[in-house]
Amino acid sequence: MATTTPVPTETECPPMDFGDLKSECVAPRPSIMGQKRSLRSILWLSFKGILRGLLTTLSYFRRPSTVVTQQYPENRETLEMFERYRGRLSLIHNEEGEHGCTACQICERLCPNASIIITKDKKNEATGKPALDQFIWRQDTCTFCNICVLVCPFDTLEMTGDFESSVYDRRLLVFNLNEYAGPTAGQLDKLDDEELAKEQMKPMKKYQGPIPMCGGEMDGIPKLDVEKSTDV
Amino acid sequence: MTIEVSSLKELVEQASGDDRSPDTQEYFVNMGPQHPSTHGVLRLVLKLDGERVLRCIPVLGYIHRSIEKISEHMNYMNCVHLTDRMDYLSSIMNNWAVSKAVEEAAGIEVNSRIQYIRTIFAELERIQSHQLWWGVLGMDLGAFTPFLYGIRDREVLNDVMEETVGARLTMNYVLPGGLMADIHPNFVHRVKEFIKYFRPKLDEYDDLLTNNVIIQERLRNVGVLSAQTAVQYGATGPVLRGSGVAFDLRKDHPYGVYDQADFEVPVGTVGDSWDRYWVRVEEMRQSLNIVEQLLDNIPPGDFLVKKLNSKIKIPEGRYYSQLETARGILGVFIASDKKDEPYRMHYRSPNFNNLWCLEPMIKGDYIASLIGAMSSLDLVIPDIDR
Ligand code: SF4
Ligand code: SF4
Repeated sequence: MATTTPVPTETECPPMDFGDLKSECVAPRPSIMGQKRSLRSILWLSFKGILRGLLTTLSYFRRPSTVVTQQYPENRETLEMFERYRGRLSLIHNEEGEHGCTACQICERLCPNASIIITKDKKNEATGKPALDQFIWRQDTCTFCNICVLVCPFDTLEMTGDFESSVYDRRLLVFNLNEYAGPTAGQLDKLDDEELAKEQMKPMKKYQGPIPMCGGEMDGIPKLDVEKSTDV
Repeated sequence: MTIEVSSLKELVEQASGDDRSPDTQEYFVNMGPQHPSTHGVLRLVLKLDGERVLRCIPVLGYIHRSIEKISEHMNYMNCVHLTDRMDYLSSIMNNWAVSKAVEEAAGIEVNSRIQYIRTIFAELERIQSHQLWWGVLGMDLGAFTPFLYGIRDREVLNDVMEETVGARLTMNYVLPGGLMADIHPNFVHRVKEFIKYFRPKLDEYDDLLTNNVIIQERLRNVGVLSAQTAVQYGATGPVLRGSGVAFDLRKDHPYGVYDQADFEVPVGTVGDSWDRYWVRVEEMRQSLNIVEQLLDNIPPGDFLVKKLNSKIKIPEGRYYSQLETARGILGVFIASDKKDEPYRMHYRSPNFNNLWCLEPMIKGDYIASLIGAMSSLDLVIPDIDR
C-alpha cells in the first residue's frame, strides 16, 4: 500500500517555454510515506489519522443537541423566516384593504429584468388623478434583487417570507398584486363621499386579488388551459 | 513573448502529433462537462498516457450568460445584481467590486460605517466560501463527512448574514453609494456568537482532514505550481499565495477598512496543493480575527449616501478597480460615455486565470492527483464563463 506520491521529474514535467519566461519544477516537499519507514509505522500513521476523524464524528453521539438537521416540510408550522427574507413580493394593504401605490412606475423602470408591469388609469373618475389599474409581478423572471422595494418612494412594497412557489406551469407565477384597481389610501381618505370611495375599492373583476393570474391572458403569455394543466 | 490563440481542434491536433513511445498508447479523455468533481460545467480534454496526464486543455463556455453584455443595457445599480451570479460564493465581494469601481469613477464618497459593514461582510463571505471549499475538497478526495461539517457551519454563518441581507446566496447587498439595508440590530451579537462557535470547529476541521495522513499524502507534492509560473499565468488569491508570493490586495493596497485591522497573510512555501489547502484554512482564522477587531468599532452613520432614484452618471473615460475576493483579484473595468449605462463593462475574474494554472500544475502527474489539484484551486465555473 505504500505507494509514494509521484514527484514529477525533469522528463515528466518538462520546463514550459514561453519565450523569455520559463517555468521550473520546484524542489518537492519531503513526503511522509516516501521516507524510509517501516510498513508498521505507515499503517499506524494512517490508522491514527482515520481514528482521529472517526472519534470526532462519534463524539457527536454524545452531543445530540448540536445536531442541526431541520425536518422540512414536517416543521412547516413552526418554521420562521427572517423578517427581511426575500420571498414573494407583495403590495402592502392596510387594515381597510387600501394600498398606497400611486402607479408612479419607478419600480417598473428600475427593475433590472422587467418583472414588474404597471398599467394605470390616467385620470381616475373620483379623484381626477392617475390611479393604479394593475400591478403585475412576474415571479418567473424576478431575481429577488430587492431593488423595487428599495426604490419605491412610498414604501408600499415588501418581500414576504413566502418561499414555496413551485408550480407545474410557469404561467402560474404571474401575480396581480393589488386587490382593487383604484386610488391610494391617502387619496381615498380625502374623498368626502364614502360611497364613492367604497365604489373605488371594489375587488378587481378580471384578476382577483393577490393570487396567481391563473394563466390569464397578457402580452407575451398565452392563456393557460387550466383543465389541461395537471395540478393547479 | 508572443501569444498564439489556437482553437481546441488545433490544440488537440498539436497534442496528438507528439512522439509516441513504442509500448504505451496515448489517448484523449473528456472530463466533464458534467463530471461531479469539476464543480460545475467545466470540460477538460485530457491527453493521457496510461494514468499520466500529458496535457489538460480546459474548454469553457458551457455556462456563459453574457453578463458583461447585459450590463451594457443596465444602469449601474442594476449591473450589481448580475455580479451575484458570477462567483456566487463571494457575491457581496463582487457587488462591492462594481460599487467600488462606480464610486471611484463618479467620485462618490461613502462614509466609514458603510466601509466597516462592507469589510465585515466581505470577511464573513470569505469564511463561508472557504468552509464550502473545505467540505468539497474532502468530498473530492473521497471523504463525505467533511462536506457535511463544512455545510453545517456554513449554514450557521449563512443564517447570520440572511438576517441582515434577506438572501442566502445571491445577496445583492452592496450598492454604488451604500448598502441595501442597515445591519440588523441582532447582527453584532450573532456574529460574536458565531466567532465563539466557529473557533473550536476549526480545530475539529484539523482533526478530520488536516491531520489525516492519507489526505496529506494526496495533497503534498501534488500539483506543484512554482511562484514564477503562478505569476506568469496571472494567478491570484490563495493560489498565488500558496506558491509563496505574499501578494494580497487587502494588505498591499488596502481598501475598505482593512488598514484598521491587524491580520497576517498566510503564505505557502512549495506551491503544492497542500500549501493552497493550508493557506485557505489559515485564512479562515485570519478572517475571524479581522471581523472580531472591526465588529465593536462600527461607527454610526447612514447606510446609503446617494439617493437611489437618481441614476448615477460617470464622466467619460475608462476606469479600473479591483479587490480581493475569496478566490483572488476581481477587477472591474468600466468604459463610460457619460451615460448612466456603461459603454463597456469587463470583469477580470480570478477563477479564469487560476484555471489555466491547472495544466502546468498537473503535467506528468496521475489523473487521480488531478482531482485533488483541481479541488485545491477552488474553481467556481460560472465566474470563469460569466
Ligand atoms: S426584486 Fe428585483 S427583479 Fe424582482 S421585481 Fe423587484 S426589482 Fe424586479
Ligand atoms: S409600487 Fe411604489 S414605485 Fe412602484 S409604482 Fe407603486 S408607488 Fe411607484
